[in-house]
Amino acid sequence: MQLYRHLLFVVFIVTHFASGTSSLGETRIQFSRDILPILSNHCFTCHGPDQQSRQSGLRLDLRSAAVLEGDSGELAIVPGKPELSEVYQRIISDDEDIRMPPSEDAHRLSNEQIDLIKEWILNGAQYENHWAFIPPKRPTVPIVAKKLWVKNPIDNFVLRRLGDNTQIPSAEASRETLIRRVCFDLTGIPPTLEEQTLFLTDHEPDAYERMVDRYLQSPLYGEHLGRYWLDLARYADTNGYQYDTEREQWAWRDWVIDAYNNNMPFDQFTIHQLAGDLLPDATDMQRLATGFNRNHGITIEGGIIDEEYRTEYVMDRVVTTGSVWLGMTVGCARCHDHKYDPLSQEEFYQLFALFNQVPERGMRGFSPQEKIHSPIPNPKAFHLTKQIDELKKQLAQPINLDKSVENWSASVRTSGPVHWEVVEAEHFKSTGGSSFSELEDQSLLVGGANPNQDNYTIISRTDCVDATAVRLEALTHESLPGGGPGRHSNSNFVLSEFELEVISIKNPDKRSKVKFKQALAEYSQSGYDIAKTIDGTVDNNNGWAVDGPTRKQPVQAIWVADQPFGYEGGTSLKFVLKHQANFATHGIGRPRLSITADKRDQYTFTNLPSEVIALTRIPFQQLPPNDRAFLKAFYLENHNPHESIRAEIQNKQDQIAALTPATMVMADSSQKRVTHLLKRGAYDQPAQIVEPGVPSSMDTHSPSKVTNRLDFANWLVEPHHPLTARVVVNRHWRRLFGRGLVETAEDFGIQGDLPTHPDLLDWLATELIDKQWDIKYLQRKILTSATYRQSSIATPKDYRADPDNRWLSRGPRFRLDGEQIRDAALAASGLLQSQLGGKSVYPYQPKGLWLELNNRPGYSKAYPQGSGSDLVRRSIYSFWKRTVPSPMLKTLDAPEREFCTVRRSRTNTPLQALLMLNGPQFMEASVFLGARMMLECDGDVKDKIAYGFRLVTSRDPSMQETAILLEEYNESFNNHEHVEKVNPQIGGVSHELNNLSLDEGELSAYSSVARIIFNLDEFITKG
Amino acid sequence: MHHLSIPFQIDRRRFLERTSRGLSGLALASLMNGALKGSDNAVTQTMEKGIPGIPHFPPKAKRVIYMLQSGAPSQVDLFDYKPSLEKLHLTELPASVRQTQRLTGMTAGQKEFPVIQSPWKFNRHGQSGMMMSELLPHLGSVADEICVVKSMHTEAINHDPAITFFQSGNQQPGRPSVGAWLSYGLGSETENLPAFVVLLTNNSFYQAQPLYDRLWGSGFLPSKYQGVKFRSSGDPVLYLKDPLGSPEKIRRKRLDRLAELNRIRASEIGDPEIESRISQYEMAYRMQTSVPELTDFRDEPESTFELYGEDAKTPGSHAANCLLARRLAERGVRFIQIFHRGWDHHSNVKTHLPNLAKETDQGSAGLIKDLKQRGMLEDTLVIWAGEFGRTVYSQGNPNNFGRDHHPRCFSIWMAGGGVKSGYSHGETDDFCYNIVRDPVHVHDFHATMLHCLGIDHKQLTYRFQGRDYRLTDVHGHVVKEILA
Repeated sequence: MQLYRHLLFVVFIVTHFASGTSSLGETRIQFSRDILPILSNHCFTCHGPDQQSRQSGLRLDLRSAAVLEGDSGELAIVPGKPELSEVYQRIISDDEDIRMPPSEDAHRLSNEQIDLIKEWILNGAQYENHWAFIPPKRPTVPIVAKKLWVKNPIDNFVLRRLGDNTQIPSAEASRETLIRRVCFDLTGIPPTLEEQTLFLTDHEPDAYERMVDRYLQSPLYGEHLGRYWLDLARYADTNGYQYDTEREQWAWRDWVIDAYNNNMPFDQFTIHQLAGDLLPDATDMQRLATGFNRNHGITIEGGIIDEEYRTEYVMDRVVTTGSVWLGMTVGCARCHDHKYDPLSQEEFYQLFALFNQVPERGMRGFSPQEKIHSPIPNPKAFHLTKQIDELKKQLAQPINLDKSVENWSASVRTSGPVHWEVVEAEHFKSTGGSSFSELEDQSLLVGGANPNQDNYTIISRTDCVDATAVRLEALTHESLPGGGPGRHSNSNFVLSEFELEVISIKNPDKRSKVKFKQALAEYSQSGYDIAKTIDGTVDNNNGWAVDGPTRKQPVQAIWVADQPFGYEGGTSLKFVLKHQANFATHGIGRPRLSITADKRDQYTFTNLPSEVIALTRIPFQQLPPNDRAFLKAFYLENHNPHESIRAEIQNKQDQIAALTPATMVMADSSQKRVTHLLKRGAYDQPAQIVEPGVPSSMDTHSPSKVTNRLDFANWLVEPHHPLTARVVVNRHWRRLFGRGLVETAEDFGIQGDLPTHPDLLDWLATELIDKQWDIKYLQRKILTSATYRQSSIATPKDYRADPDNRWLSRGPRFRLDGEQIRDAALAASGLLQSQLGGKSVYPYQPKGLWLELNNRPGYSKAYPQGSGSDLVRRSIYSFWKRTVPSPMLKTLDAPEREFCTVRRSRTNTPLQALLMLNGPQFMEASVFLGARMMLECDGDVKDKIAYGFRLVTSRDPSMQETAILLEEYNESFNNHEHVEKVNPQIGGVSHELNNLSLDEGELSAYSSVARIIFNLDEFITKG
Repeated sequence: MHHLSIPFQIDRRRFLERTSRGLSGLALASLMNGALKGSDNAVTQTMEKGIPGIPHFPPKAKRVIYMLQSGAPSQVDLFDYKPSLEKLHLTELPASVRQTQRLTGMTAGQKEFPVIQSPWKFNRHGQSGMMMSELLPHLGSVADEICVVKSMHTEAINHDPAITFFQSGNQQPGRPSVGAWLSYGLGSETENLPAFVVLLTNNSFYQAQPLYDRLWGSGFLPSKYQGVKFRSSGDPVLYLKDPLGSPEKIRRKRLDRLAELNRIRASEIGDPEIESRISQYEMAYRMQTSVPELTDFRDEPESTFELYGEDAKTPGSHAANCLLARRLAERGVRFIQIFHRGWDHHSNVKTHLPNLAKETDQGSAGLIKDLKQRGMLEDTLVIWAGEFGRTVYSQGNPNNFGRDHHPRCFSIWMAGGGVKSGYSHGETDDFCYNIVRDPVHVHDFHATMLHCLGIDHKQLTYRFQGRDYRLTDVHGHVVKEILA
C-alpha cells in the first residue's frame, strides 16, 4: 500500500504540477511549488504571518520559527526526522482531537500531500522564498529537438513543457485565421478585405511580421489596448455609489489611448500615472496621467461621514495599485496581517500613507481637478484655434468698418442668431376644454377652462422643405395670472412632452413624427430640464418648468430635429404640447411657434431684432445701400468693432474651454497628513502612526527609501523588482491566449496559482526590462512566435483534456469581449466611425433603464441616447454608468467598474443569444451588412452571400455553408420580412439607407443572411 | 439534477405537460431530453448545475421570494408595538438610551431628540395574537403564517452601504449578491428561465432611493450568476422579442440554420464550447415562449386578483410583482427578488408611510395565502425586509415628524419554508432603540436563509484572490430559534 501510494505520488507530481525545470521523471521536491501551497492552504490561517490569529505560538511560514518549540513544548519540525516532528505526527494522527488540520477545516490533507510533507522533512525541510518575491533571473533558453518549429525563444520554452507532457504542438493556422487573430488582438476588430488581400497575396517570407507591424502602427491599437487598461483603472463616466452622477474623466482615458499609440514605455506609463504630478516641472500630460488614481467611486449621499469615505478612496487606490502593479491582494492586510502572504498590517498602512496625501474630501470629493486638454486633438478645438489666430491678426489691423460689419453680419448668418419663421396656427384644440384666441403677433392666448391636465394640438403649415428646428416662445400677457408665462396662479407651467408630426399636403399618406435630437431652453427650473420634453415619458411629473413663482418672464425653447423635415408642395405641422404633470393647471399661457431652416451645430437664443437678422441673411456687400446703412448704424450702436472681435475671441476660447473638462488628478497636500494604522481597517479606529514605505518581502532591490508616490513608482519599475514585469507580461499573455501563464493574474501571492511556464514568464519579464519596457516589442515577440501562430483546431477530446489550453498545444480560441463584438459588427457592416478620443457617447440602449433604478429629481435623468455617428463609435467611447452599465456589454461579461477588475469572466448564456439575435445594434449592423453585400459585390446571390460572410469571418464559406445561407435568403425573400419594420425600432442611422434606393425585398433577404452570420459562434470568437 | 427530490420532478413533468402548448416539436424534444435523460447530453443541457455536495443537508425551502423594501420601513410604526411610548411621547430621548451611537449627518446636528409614538393603532391578530399596525390589515390576516424578527441590526447607517451589505454581506461594492451565491451553489431548476430573477416595482414616492445593478450582480463570481431583471414595460427580458416580429415557424427555421452552421464549425474545430452555444440559443428560443406566457396574467382567474388586489392588474406594481413571483416560483425559478422603493421618510411620516404600507400590504399577504393554498408555502421561503430601521425620535419638527436611519434595531418578517409561523423573535427596549434580547445580525440572517435552503453558510465558498470567500464572510450564526 505504502509503495502504491508513493508511486501515485510520483505520477501525481509529473502530471499535475505545472512548475519546475526538472526533466521528466525527476521528483525533487521544490518548496515553493510543492510544500508552500499545502502549508498556505491548510495551516497559515492559524499558523501563518498574522500574529493576531496565530494559535499555540506556532508559526510555519518561517523556517526559523518552525524548527522551534511551540507552546506545547514540542518541536514542530525536526529537519530530517518526520517521526520527531510534531507537525507530521499531528497530520497523520488518527485521533480527531489532535489531528491537524482540525476537523472543522473544509479541506483535509490528501495522502499525497501528507507524503510530500514527509518527504520534505526527510530531505531537511528546506524553505525558500515564495517564487514571485525572488527577482526574475534570465533563464537559459532550453534546447529542443523540433528546431524547425521554433520561431523565437518563446517556442523553446513552450515546446519543452509540451515535451514534458508528451504533447506536440499544432500546425500553423491558416493565413486567413492568422490575420483575423492578429487584427483582433492588436486593433480589436476584424481585418478589412483590403488588409486580407494585402496579406494573402504577400508571399515574401516576412509577410506575417510585416502584417503584425502594420497593425501595431494602427491608431486603433491604442483604443484596443487602452480598453483593457480601463478595467484595471476602474474608469467610468459616473461617480458610482448611491446617486451615480456624471463625471468627466475622459481626457484621462484619451491619455491612455495616446500613450499606447505612442508606445510609451511601461516604466514611464507607470510613473506618470502614479506620480506624474510629483515629477520636477510636471507637464500637463504628466499631471493628467495621474487621473488613474482618481477614477474610484465618489459618494454624494447625504448624511455620510466624510472621513469614512475619504478613507475608502485611499483604500481603493492602495488595493488597485497593488492589484495592477504588484499582482497582490494587499487589501487583505487592511484589517489584519495578511493571512498568507508576508504583508503585515503595518506595511499595508505604509502603502496607505503614500496615497493618503491628496487634499480631498469624502463627500463630493471631486477636487483636486485640473482643466487639461486631451492629448488627442479635437477637430472642433483645432478649428476654433485657427479662427482665434485669424481674429487675433484682425485685432492688430486698423479697423475697416465696412469689413467689420461684413464679418459680423457673416458670423450672425453662419453661427449667430437663427432666423425663425413664425408659423401661424390654423387649427387648435385642447383636450381639457381651454380656448385659444389668436393675437396680432401670431401667438395664441389660452383662456377658458383651466383643466388640471391639458394637451394643446396646434396645426400650422409651411412651405419650407428643410426645416431643422422648432422654437416655442412662452410669452406673458396681462390676462395671465401673476404676469408670468404659465396659467397657474403661481405663473408656472410644466410642459411634459413636445411632439411634432409633419404631413405632406400633396399626399397626406406621407407623414412622420419628427424625432428631436436635442432640446434647449433659455431657462429651466432645477429638476425640470427641457430635455424631459422629448424623453418619451410624462410619468413622475417629468417635464419642463421655468420657476414661474419667482421668474415671471417670457421664455423660449428650441427643439432640434434629427433630420430636416418638410415636404415638397407644403407641409402641415401638427404640434402637440402635453401638460400631464400632477400639478394642477400648469398649462402654457401664450405659446408662439416658429421654425427655421438654418443649420447650426449649436442653436442659441438671441434678442436681435428680426429685421436685423433678416438683413444678415444676405452678404453685406450685396445689400442695397440703405440696408447697408441701417445695418452699419445698428452695428455701431451696439458694438465696438474691437470689442466684438475680442468678444468673439473670448467666445471661441470659451468654446474650447467647454471642450476641455476638469479632470480629477492626484496632488499631495503641502501639509503632510499623518497616517495611522487603522484597527480592523475602520476609519475611526486609529492606532500607531505609520510612515510611508514598501513591503519588506518585495523590497529585494530598493536602493533608497520610499517616502512618496514618486519614489514608490520608481521602486515599482526598478529592473530588479520581483513582481512588476512579471505581472505585466502575464496580463498581456492572458489577453492574447485567454489564460495567463499565472492563471490568477490578480494574485501572484502564495495563494495564487503557480505559473505553468515559470521560465517563460521570467524570460518575457527580463526581456521586457532589457528592452526598456517596450510594450509593442513585447507583443510583437509573442505574436511572431510559433506558439501564437498555431491552429486552434483540435479534437473535442483535446479540448476537454485541456480546456484552457494551459500547455499551449494549440492556438488561442475564446469568445471575444463585448466591446470587440460590438465593434466588429460595426466594422464589418461598414458603420464604424473611427474618430479618436473625445467625450463619451450614448449608443443604443433599451428605453427606461436609467430611470427605473433612479428617478429622483435632480439626481437622475433618462439615458440621452445619441444620434448619427455617435451611435457607431467604438465601444471604448460608450458612456459608462457604474450602477447601470450598458446592458449589452454587461450581458457579455463586462464588469460594473465599481472597482479594479483584472480578469473578466467569460460566460455563454441564453441572454447573450437574445442580445445577438435581437439587439438593435446588431439588427442595424445586419441591415447595413446586407446593403454592403448588394452594393459592393458584383455577382450572383451566392457571391454576395460569400462576400458578407468574408467581411465577418475573414474566410470564404464552404458550399454547404453557402447553401444554408441561401436557404435563409430565399425564405426571407419570399416571406417579405421587410427591413422597414426594423427602421422604426432602431431609427438611428438607418435613414442613410433611404438614399441608396435598394430593393427592399432583397435588402431584407440579405439582412436576414447577415443576421445569421452575426450570430455564428465564429463571429464572436477569436479562433 | 441528483439533488432534486422525486416529488419535485413529478411536479415539473406535470408542468411541462401543461405548458408544452406553443413549443415547437424540436424545442419540446430537447426540453424533455434535458428533463428526463439527465445531464449527459451536452447539446440539450443548458441548465446550470450547482456545486456537487450542495445542498449539504435536506432543505426545507427550495426557493426564495424576497421582497426587499428599499429605503428602510419604520419598525416602530409597523411591527414593533411599543405601548410604553404613549407616556414618553414628545419627551427627550435619554442620553442613556442613545448612548454614543453614530447618527447620520442629517440629525447629528439636531439639538433635541423628541420621542414620537406611533400615530397608528396596533391590533392583535390570529391565534398567535401578534400585534401589528393598522396600516397592515392584510398582513394581519396572515399573522399566524409569518415569523417577525424584531431584533435585526446592521452596521451601516447610510442607504448605499446598508443595502449593499444586505444584498452581498459587505458594505463596499464587489461581492456577489445573495441570489448570485444561490445560483452558483444550487444551480437552476428550470431550463426555460433564469435561476435568479429580479423584479422592480414602480415607485410612487418622489424621493425614492436609487438602486444599482450591483445589488443583483455577481461580484467576483462568473457573471452568468447575476440576477436577470424582468421589466414591467417593453420586453420583460431585454432583447427578448424579435424586432421583425417574425412568426415562430420562421424563427425556428432560422435558428435551425444557425445551429447547422455552428455544428459544421464545431465538427471542424472540435471546441465543445460551440455545442454549448447552440444550446444557449435553444434556451433563448424557449424563453421567447416561456417569458411572455409567464408575464401574461390573462389565464389567472378573478379570484387571484381578489387575493392580491386590483393593483395586481397594473404591471410593475408591488402586487403584480408578487403575483409574478408566484408564477416564477411555480416554474422553478430559484431566487426571486422584488425591489420596492420609497420607504425613506425623513419628514411627513404621517403622509408617506400609509401610502407605502398600502402599496405593499395586500400583495405580500396575498402571496402568502396563494402559496399556501397551492401547497407551495412549505417549500418557499418568503422574506420581507428593508436595509435598516428608523429612529424613534423625530427628525425635524414633531408636527410633521420624520424618522432618520436607525441601524440599531429593526423588524423584518419571513414565512414558509423552514421558519416558524405566528412567531415573534427578539425584543427591543421601551424606546424601540436598542435590542434587549436575541439580536440578529445581517450575517445571521444570511446564515439562516442559507440554512433553510439546505446550505451550511460556512461551506458555500468561492476562491477569489487566494481566499475562500463566503456570503457571511467570517461571521454569521444560524438563528435556530426561528426555524420550524
